[in-house]
Amino acid sequence: MPITSKTFVRSTALLLLVGLLALLAIVGTNVWLVERSQGYFNEISEGRRARVAAISLRSLLQDMETSQRGYIITQDENYLGPYNDSEPQVEEQLEALEAILAPFPTVTDSVVQLREDVLFKLNEMARTVEMVREGNGTGAVERIRTDAGKEAMDRIRSFLSALLSGIDQRLAEGDQNQRDTLTMMRWVSIIGGIVILLVVAGAMWAVLSYTQELARARREVEDANANLEARVKERTADLGKANEEIQRFAYIVTHDLRAPLVNIMGFTAELETSVDDVKTFMERQEVGEDDPVAAQARTAATTDLPEAISFIRAATRKMDGLINAILKISREGRRRLNPEPVDLAELAEATAASVHHQVSESQGEIVTDIRVGKLVTDKMSIEQILGNMLDNAIKYQEPSRSLRIAIRARHVPGNRVVIEIEDNGRGIADADHERVFELFRRSGTQSKPGEGIGLAHVRTMVRSLGGDVTLTSKLGQGTTFIINLPRDARSYLGSFGA
Amino acid sequence: MNNARPVTIVMVEDDEGHARLIEKNIRRAGVANEIVAFTNGTDALNYLLGGDGSGLVNKGRQLLVLLDLNLPDMTGIDILEKVKGNEHTRRSPVVVLTTTDDQREIQRCYDLGANVYITKPVDYDGFANAIKQLGLFFSVMQIPETE
Repeated sequence: MPITSKTFVRSTALLLLVGLLALLAIVGTNVWLVERSQGYFNEISEGRRARVAAISLRSLLQDMETSQRGYIITQDENYLGPYNDSEPQVEEQLEALEAILAPFPTVTDSVVQLREDVLFKLNEMARTVEMVREGNGTGAVERIRTDAGKEAMDRIRSFLSALLSGIDQRLAEGDQNQRDTLTMMRWVSIIGGIVILLVVAGAMWAVLSYTQELARARREVEDANANLEARVKERTADLGKANEEIQRFAYIVTHDLRAPLVNIMGFTAELETSVDDVKTFMERQEVGEDDPVAAQARTAATTDLPEAISFIRAATRKMDGLINAILKISREGRRRLNPEPVDLAELAEATAASVHHQVSESQGEIVTDIRVGKLVTDKMSIEQILGNMLDNAIKYQEPSRSLRIAIRARHVPGNRVVIEIEDNGRGIADADHERVFELFRRSGTQSKPGEGIGLAHVRTMVRSLGGDVTLTSKLGQGTTFIINLPRDARSYLGSFGA
Repeated sequence: MNNARPVTIVMVEDDEGHARLIEKNIRRAGVANEIVAFTNGTDALNYLLGGDGSGLVNKGRQLLVLLDLNLPDMTGIDILEKVKGNEHTRRSPVVVLTTTDDQREIQRCYDLGANVYITKPVDYDGFANAIKQLGLFFSVMQIPETE
């Protein structure tokens, strides 16, 4: 089952939540159980202390009673040893017992009764011992026979026995509770552990299957990528082939067009020579007023034919110019580019110097600001591009102000270089910004001779170097041509198989 | 070309207009030799090497071949190769006069033994001028007899 990233996130979050809850439950119950067991433990240790106190009190009192009786019977001071030993401890044990039993209001009365009985018993025993010491043994026996002491002692004994059995019961219960708590703890730990194990297993499964899914998706993307690259390569090759074909086509067409044109021009020249002969002859010939045919022939030879020939010549010359322009561009396209290190600053200076006299005629100047090092590109193309740009700037300068041309170059990101050629010439109307780069298209007043191939040629050259040329211009203020070139044309030429 | 046996100029040019213009301009340079024009390669080869292709037919004549490379039935290079490969005609000068200025084409022609390679100028004036000068050159050339 494929896992989408959404379900993956959702299921993982859920599993983590379940795991967290299980952990919280385990920790919570453990804390609670430990707390509880601590309570039981306290209770047990208290019970034990109560037990010790009760037993001690009982045995102290019993020891004292036994010792008292022995003394009464024997009147021997030796028998009073245990009595004297125990007596000071009784109060201590009694107080301990009272302190332990203080938190239990149900036994308060009994404890008060116990103290009364103990004090009474102690008092009675002290009295009888006193009496024996004074030699009144019978009186002491009498006193014991009143049974008041015995009753007090019985009450003490029964209370302590009840207390002990109560404490024993409580201790047994405490044991049981402790055991129950431990069992519960064990179960909580086991169940919680199982839940956490399940959660971890689930999370691991989710992560593993999601990772597999990702790996598969990545493989697919890689495959698609490889495919795409192959296709791009294929298309690029196709494009290169198509481009080559177009150039071949242009070359062949211009060649084939030129052959008949040479004929037209050649025979027009022959015709002109012949017409000149005829014209010379006709002008020398006297033509009678009454001969319309001769007059017509004379007009034809002297005016009409030379005029027709001059039109044919003009038209063929223009056509020849256009064909040559196409031929030039197609030949440029076929020229093998030769990338080499080119010092742009040097080249710009040289190009500027070559048009120096034309610029200085109108008090103009060319400033260069080249902030790039050497480019690896086709030197001849760059020369022609810059030359064309400067020629255009000079040709289309605004006569009312002196010409200013700036050539600037700088690096731009992507290992490219931007060359800007700015002039303060007559500018190009917004509508013509793209048109001027088209073959045979010109902008503005057609006041200068030209065929409209310069910028088309520039664009062809710039593109064949892997760059592009654009312009910004304000009519009447000037134009800036922006040429963007790769710093190293080899990478581009290499990729195009050129 | 003022030898006892007159030199024949063999012109192989598929465009008749061009052929005529070439002829006119050669004549203007004062060359009066016979010009035999062919518009296709087959006829030209028949004339140059004879029907049997041995070249014996032209034994003892002086030939100068003016050759265009773009022909309808074969390229001028085929003709050049055959003329220069034939023992009888190999010493006859061949002037290649064509529109192509492809460097490899030019090299190939010289490799095959072409004596002169001229690119037809693009404009007519240049064309006429070049042909006239070629004519002047012809008039001072020594042409060997074919053996």
